[in-house]
Formats: sequence, structure tokens, C-alpha cells
Amino acid sequence: MLTTLFQRRQRAPVALGGMVIAARMAGVVPPACIGVAVDAGGRTRRFAEGVRMVVAASENAWCFHPGPYNLVLTPYLAAPEMGLQLSVVVDSPDPLADQQRFDLYLASEGEQAVELTQFRQALDAAVQRELQQGGLALPPCTQVEEWQLFRAGLNELLYMRFGVTVDDCIPVDLAGQVDYAALLSQRAVADVPAAVVTAAPAPAIVPVPPGADAPALRRLFLELPPVTARLRMLDVDAFTRHRALLQRFDLASLAVLTMPALALAAPGQPLGAGQQQRRTRHALRAVAALDEAWALLARAGRVAQDEVLDEFERIAANLEDALAARRAIPLEDA
Amino acid sequence: MTPLPDSASCRCLLADGSFATVTATRRPRAGRADVKCSGVPGLAGAMQQVVRLARHTEAHADSRDQVVLGIDIDPGTRDWEFAAVLADRMVRGLYRAIEPACANGWSDHWQLGRIDGHTIGASAATMLGGPDGIAHLGALTGQPDVASVVSSARAWFPLHSGGINDSLGWVEVSVFPLSAVDAGDDAIAVPGLDVTRQLAVRQALLGSRDFDRCAPGRWRTTVRFAQPRFQGNSYELALVMADRLARGREYVVRGRMIATGTSSAWHAGQVETVEGMAPKCALIAREATSGDRILLPQAWQGLLPAGFLDQVRASGATVACVGQVGMF
Repeated sequence: MLTTLFQRRQRAPVALGGMVIAARMAGVVPPACIGVAVDAGGRTRRFAEGVRMVVAASENAWCFHPGPYNLVLTPYLAAPEMGLQLSVVVDSPDPLADQQRFDLYLASEGEQAVELTQFRQALDAAVQRELQQGGLALPPCTQVEEWQLFRAGLNELLYMRFGVTVDDCIPVDLAGQVDYAALLSQRAVADVPAAVVTAAPAPAIVPVPPGADAPALRRLFLELPPVTARLRMLDVDAFTRHRALLQRFDLASLAVLTMPALALAAPGQPLGAGQQQRRTRHALRAVAALDEAWALLARAGRVAQDEVLDEFERIAANLEDALAARRAIPLEDA
Repeated sequence: MTPLPDSASCRCLLADGSFATVTATRRPRAGRADVKCSGVPGLAGAMQQVVRLARHTEAHADSRDQVVLGIDIDPGTRDWEFAAVLADRMVRGLYRAIEPACANGWSDHWQLGRIDGHTIGASAATMLGGPDGIAHLGALTGQPDVASVVSSARAWFPLHSGGINDSLGWVEVSVFPLSAVDAGDDAIAVPGLDVTRQLAVRQALLGSRDFDRCAPGRWRTTVRFAQPRFQGNSYELALVMADRLARGREYVVRGRMIATGTSSAWHAGQVETVEGMAPKCALIAREATSGDRILLPQAWQGLLPAGFLDQVRASGATVACVGQVGMF
């Protein structure tokens, strides 16, 4: 009786390494897993397997299984039958880095657990965005050299953005599992009826997911300083441009630190729901710029220096614009 | 990379035969609004809203520039909207018009990139928005709409007519899923073409679907050509690629798909050579823009004109000489 109780305490509440990559848990780090303690400022430290995690009250304890994990990505929304079969691992820590990228991912994007399906969606979104923007290229009738370039770019992107290493990546035909014709038929049900021309355009509202503001600001708060640090490490000849960029990213971090609360127009003065949606939308725009910055850092070594700086200036401009709009309250309907 | 223009204009053909011109100019942002519209207050507000909504469909945001838009007359209708969106894209280098652009279209769903309709009849030089013309902003570069029940993709092919009249023609393949109830033979409609050419189109499509083991009776297909009168069969590779893109069997192109090639064995996926390499390459090198994908027959591999590859790559397009459709 006593032993079974004891064993139950010892056993991890969720099995890591299968459908769950990482979960918050206290106590002893399970076998083959790695423990990470994350404090409120995003600083992390690791525990080896079998070690009892002793954490402060302000820290969250995580455990993750390094894998390997098999997942299938769909690089293009318009081609759901063409997939990429990936095998990814969280590799042994980089001794030169003061914080492992996967630990930062846990700190800034982990909620209670990181599930494989949710992780796959995040990877999918990152790869799809990069293909749309032209940072990666996977064109029709891909040639061998183009595939190798894509593989190199994919490895760098996923390591820089998520801290995972791609072991294996092969193109797969999902025709047996995904039926594009059936997917299209499902759209028919949701399709809107034919439109009729009216005198004035209907006011359109671009929907935003509710509750997306706080995670977005959290990501900006935790990830802008590491992005700036990596930008500082870039080997660039144009000193003045580089310094100006670093200052702009530092100011963006400061703007995130002093960002007003979502629901308040002024202390004690609530803000309307429409304005809250507007603020959320701009916070998401700022996060999109942050994602572009990670992707650009990943490919910075393969692109001409002038282009890298130009892209960083564009990203900095988008970031400043989105953060200023997140803060502002338009006069007409404040 | 070609430098961005400082200003661009797009005309709109109105129902009474007159033109309204939307002019867009670009200047440094300097802390101002991203889009500014001048002119009649009500019209300017609507134009700003339309352009801002249409920008939601773009992948590449750049807030360093301000675009100032103006329209010379007040059309009184809403069919200038498509022209305003095009002018906004042209001035930022996101869309390159071949001739002086002329468009007519309106929409209540610009944030989805969908164009709902147009208010004038058919006109050769005017791009018409709506289901019978350009139904989706992605169709400007041939991509299918990821929210529509009909998946349609375009591919371009060089039309060689001896010198200055050379141009790129397009072929559009639209596929609609057939339900299990009305499944029968593959229905392939090719309106506007003569009977022999209809048969050739049908055989090429059936052959290439055989190649990727597409089950019969799955799609109802419509094939449209930019202009139905042309000679030769070098359009076949473009047709097959458009069909594969529409059926989601091929990776999507960022820009346009430009292809030339034919085959006597589409069921094996083979691509064979066509005539007129020099003028076609010259045309493609002139027309290629950033993100375009150019597919040429394998036999042209070592024979391409000097400087062609450099010129095309400098414009941001990619080239592949293929002996077979599909990867590698």
C-alpha cells in the first residue's frame, strides 16, 4: 500500500516523449528527460534527469523529453496533399549560448504543456510564413540543389526559432490521408451567397482571437532582448546603421515594458471592446514582426549584408509602428 | 532587383465608357498615416478603408513608406475599388502591370482578397473583378484562393508571333469537387476552343492525372485561355502545371508560373522540347519578376542563350529545366 502510493508519487503525471513534448511538473526529473526552471523574467536553468528540482516560489518548473518527434508539416495551405515528414530532436545544449533557445521557447510560449499537435501547428505556421515571404523556397518541380538549399534553410529556421534540430526531412505524398476534393466540398457548406453591389462598402471587421493580447506582449517582453543580443552579434561592416538598429530594438523593448494595460484607457477609466480588439490586433502585428526577425536571423548568414540590414530596418519600422498603435487611443472613439 | 517606382497609376473603365484614373505616389512615412487619400471626403475615406483592408492579404508588410492615393473624377459607383488596390500594389512593387493597367471591380470582402463583381460588360483591355474574371487577388499571380470551393490556378506560357507581338498568354484551370453521387467520367470543359484543340487539352489533362494516380471522377474541370487563337502545342506544360497547382498536387509559386514544353507521353510525366528557344527566352527574361518560377524543357539545359540565367535570377525569378514533372 505504502509502496504503491510512493510509486504513484514518483511517476510523472503525464508521459513525456509521445504526444506531449514538455509539461509543467515539480519534483524529480523523469528518466531521459531534462528539467528547466523558468523565473518571471524569463531566465532559465536546467536540471539533469533524476535530480530533484528545487525551485523558488517565483519560478515555474518544466520537464521536457528531447525526442525524437515525428511530425508532418504542410508547407502550403493550397496544397494539403503535399507534406514534409520531419523528425526533430531537442539537441544537446550549446555550451557557448547563455540560454538555450528551446528553454526560451518554453518560457515565452509554453502555457501548461507543449503538446505535439500544437507544436506542429507552430512549426507549420513558421515555415508557411517564411515560404510566403521568400526566405525559403520550395518551388514546383524542385531540383536537387533547390531542395538542399531548402533543407539548410529549414534547419536554420527551426533551430533559431524553436531550438529544435531537424534530423530528417523527406517530402511525402499525403494523398492517402488527405482528400483535397473533400476539403473543398466542406468549404462549399460555409461559402457565402453571391454578393450584390450596394451603394456603400459594408464596414468590415477583421476578427482577432480573444485573449491573444497578453501572450503576445509576454512574447515581446521575453524575446526582444535575445533578438537584440543576436542582432548585436551579427558581423556587419556598416557600423552606423547597425548601431541605429540596435537602438531602435532597445527602444522597442522599452516600449513593451511600459505598455498600458489592455482594458484601461487611463487609470480607473475602462476601454471599449472595439478599442481592445484594435489593441490586440496591433500586438499581434508586433509579434509577426518579431517572428520575421527570428527568421531573418536564421538566414542572415546566407544573404547579402545590405539586404539583411534593409530587412531589419523594415522589421524595426513595423515593430515601432505596431507598438505605437498598441499604445495609442484614436480620438474619434476613445 | 528593379528599383521601385515613385508613382503608379491604374485606370478604371466606367459604365459610360469614360475613364477614372487612380494615381498612387510613395513618400517616406515620417510618422504619418500608412495610407492617405485625397479628394472628395466621403470617397477618400472609403478608398483608405478599401486599401487598408486589401493589405491584410499581403505577406510582406512594410511601414516605412506612405502611399498617397488620388482619383481624378468621382465615378459615383464603387467599381474604382479594384483600380485603387492595384495602384497601391503597383507603387510598392508588389504587382507589375504589363501595359497601362485598367481595371473594374468592387468587393465587400477585401480583407479576404475576394473580389465580388464588376459593373461593366466584357472588355478586352480591362481586368474585370468577380467570378467571371479575377475572383481573388491571388489570381493576379495565378494562386488558388484558399477559402473558395472552386480551386483555380493560372500558368503563363510564351506566345511567339514573330517579334514585337510576342507576349505571355495564360491558361486557367478551375477544379470543382464532384460528389460521390454525380461522379462519372471526368468532366473537362474547354469553352471557346475548336474541337481538335479541345481534344488535345483533354488528353493532356487525363494523361497527366493518370501520371499522379488521380482517381477518375473526382473533379469537374474548366479550362480557360487568355486568347483562344494560337498555334502549336507548347502550352501543354503550362496547362498541366496549372492543373496540378489547382488540384493541390504541386508546391505553390510565390509569383507566376511560366512554362513552355510539350509531351507525347503525359501519362509518364515526360516533358519534351519545343521550338523557338531564342525568342521565347528573350520574352521570358523581359517579363520575369520577383518570385516567378520558369520551367523549360530539359533539352534546353546547355543551349540557353548567354546571360539568360543571370538576367532572370537578377530579377528574382528561378529557372529549372525539367525532363519530368514533379520533384527532382
